Amino acid sequence: MTLFSNTQIEITELPKSEDLNLHLISPKYFRIILFNTTLLHTVVIASFLTFSLLVDEPEVKTAFWYFLVVACVLCAISVLFYAIGFKKRKYAMREKDITYSHGYLLNKTVTLPYNRIQHIEIARSFLARKLGLSTLKIYSAGQSGGDLAIKGLPVDVAETQYAFLTKIINERS
Amino acid sequence: MSAHNFETPTRQSAKGIVVIFGVSLYRILKATIIIFAALVYKFISSGKTAYLTSTKFILITLGVLLLFLVIAILRYLNFKFYVSSDYFFLQKGIFNKEEISVSTSKIQNVYIKQNVLQQIINVVSLSIETAGDDKTEIEISALSKSKAEALKTLLLKVAKPETFIDGEIVEDAVYFKASIKKLFLEGVSENHFKSFALIFAFIISIYNDIKAFVNQLELTSAFGSWFQLDEESLMTFILFNVTIVVVLIIMSFFLSLIRMLIQNFNLTVKRKSEGLEISKGLLNKINLSLSASRIQNTTRTTNRLKQALGLYKLSFTQAMANKKQQLNFNIVGLGKTQINELLEQFYPKAEERLIKHKPNKYLMYRLLSVSILTLLLLNMPLYFGPRSLLFLNIPIVMLVVASAIFAYKKAYYYLDSNYIIVGSGKLIDTHTNFLEIKKVQAVSLNQSIFQKTRGLASVVIYTASKPLTIPHVELTTALTIKNYLLFKVESENKDWM
Repeated sequence: MTLFSNTQIEITELPKSEDLNLHLISPKYFRIILFNTTLLHTVVIASFLTFSLLVDEPEVKTAFWYFLVVACVLCAISVLFYAIGFKKRKYAMREKDITYSHGYLLNKTVTLPYNRIQHIEIARSFLARKLGLSTLKIYSAGQSGGDLAIKGLPVDVAETQYAFLTKIINERS
Repeated sequence: MSAHNFETPTRQSAKGIVVIFGVSLYRILKATIIIFAALVYKFISSGKTAYLTSTKFILITLGVLLLFLVIAILRYLNFKFYVSSDYFFLQKGIFNKEEISVSTSKIQNVYIKQNVLQQIINVVSLSIETAGDDKTEIEISALSKSKAEALKTLLLKVAKPETFIDGEIVEDAVYFKASIKKLFLEGVSENHFKSFALIFAFIISIYNDIKAFVNQLELTSAFGSWFQLDEESLMTFILFNVTIVVVLIIMSFFLSLIRMLIQNFNLTVKRKSEGLEISKGLLNKINLSLSASRIQNTTRTTNRLKQALGLYKLSFTQAMANKKQQLNFNIVGLGKTQINELLEQFYPKAEERLIKHKPNKYLMYRLLSVSILTLLLLNMPLYFGPRSLLFLNIPIVMLVVASAIFAYKKAYYYLDSNYIIVGSGKLIDTHTNFLEIKKVQAVSLNQSIFQKTRGLASVVIYTASKPLTIPHVELTTALTIKNYLLFKVESENKDWM
């Protein structure tokens, strides 16, 4: 371990990740969240409705109305949390790493150094294509979950970042 | 080069036919045994047995066996491997041909295994693991032992060692061999609560069936007359449940004991300049090499009883290895000096400079409040039941409190220019995790809203195997740790494998 010098580093002089100027993702992405959440709850409600129509029992019919109320409240709560948490979905790129922060109840700020990237990917769902959005996925090695998926990036931003990261990965080896 | 030639495409040993045949037959039998038994049962109960004479039965069995044999021979004939210019090639498949090539520098590990059948006909299988994905199976089922050893050396030769240790290590000398007595002690001192919980959950699900079965045996009436109690129903209830618990404890105890003995039979560790060589197993013998550059995390585990007996377990993890494979990287029954020497080999001078930094006490309060809340929820149905059952809470609360206190007592973290060391544990177990900073893949700062009001955060350090968490530290400390780790990974740019 004498191959490199090991002078003391002043902790205060380290590059600070907390001073990062994080960018918000496209506000249009909230429409996708809204659509997905309502779709999920509608499917559940619809399947219960068909069930209650098929089974000709008065108890099931009453239970359906309770169920409908509960499902609607749950839907409203999750939309509310998505709305509060939406402003927390932020990302930033530095010279040597990329950061993505998200979550309201549990906020996670993951930083992935470029020299640990294994591969990158752009994914676009049907709705995202209509709204001009993309998801940028960045994978590191292994299965422990240190991967990033920045959802709701405008297409041009995602493309630029993809090109930038690809260039870095290719120059690395 | 050795006496074996691997440059030209070669088949495995002709005994491979036997192994392929045996293994595929075993797999089919294992997968279909229930359906098969059900069919036979239905057939016999339908009363048509007269149609199926013994000759017919034998003919059908022979036909199936012949089919398997032909498939085995074809698979053997279409299976060729060779090593050329630092690449390992494998051609296989009867109808769907497949050619696999692996760069030797990407090979994580080479296993030499021997199941019961292979032990009988004296061949070994060799499988190659890469960090790529856990689905690709590269396994040569039958090779002579010397040939397998030669191939293994050839494949692992290119993987250069990265850590240098003092020349005092004698190659090929057995460093550690776990005696039957040690393994026995290991098995006895296991944390039996885990296997107990598993079996308990299983028993609960079939509780009523057992009850019916026991009632049929009329055991309770026999015992009941012994005690001559008037409240027979209560007696039955208590006796029945106590018996079940006792049987469970004995069963779980023996299960983990037997598992320990079979898996680690003849556990031998050899120290090499680039790492360790581990071999073990009774029914499935396995031999593998661990090189320092391929190890991601290392964990030292012990519990109260084991500590008193001087028993420690060392477990290594590699990138992308599956759960079953991961078990093979465990070394049990190590003594205190041995485990220190091994840790010194992979993490030189780590422990002597260790300073235990404590996380925030919130760790304890959080554990306490979560478990008390769950306990309260579990208590809700008791409101309708007899009040006396409420006393059951007293030992549980004591256990929960003790567990939380020890979880805090055992938690610490340490960080320097090379290593991250995190200690954790509960009432019984104690874990110490070691990680080299250069193996870090990504760093995350997690903060729940409860932590936010207290100005705390947790740092999750992702590696190619399992993540490591430094729980509940001050936000400024957490940020400093994150910044420092990122700085180290980005500025030094060292390989992680």
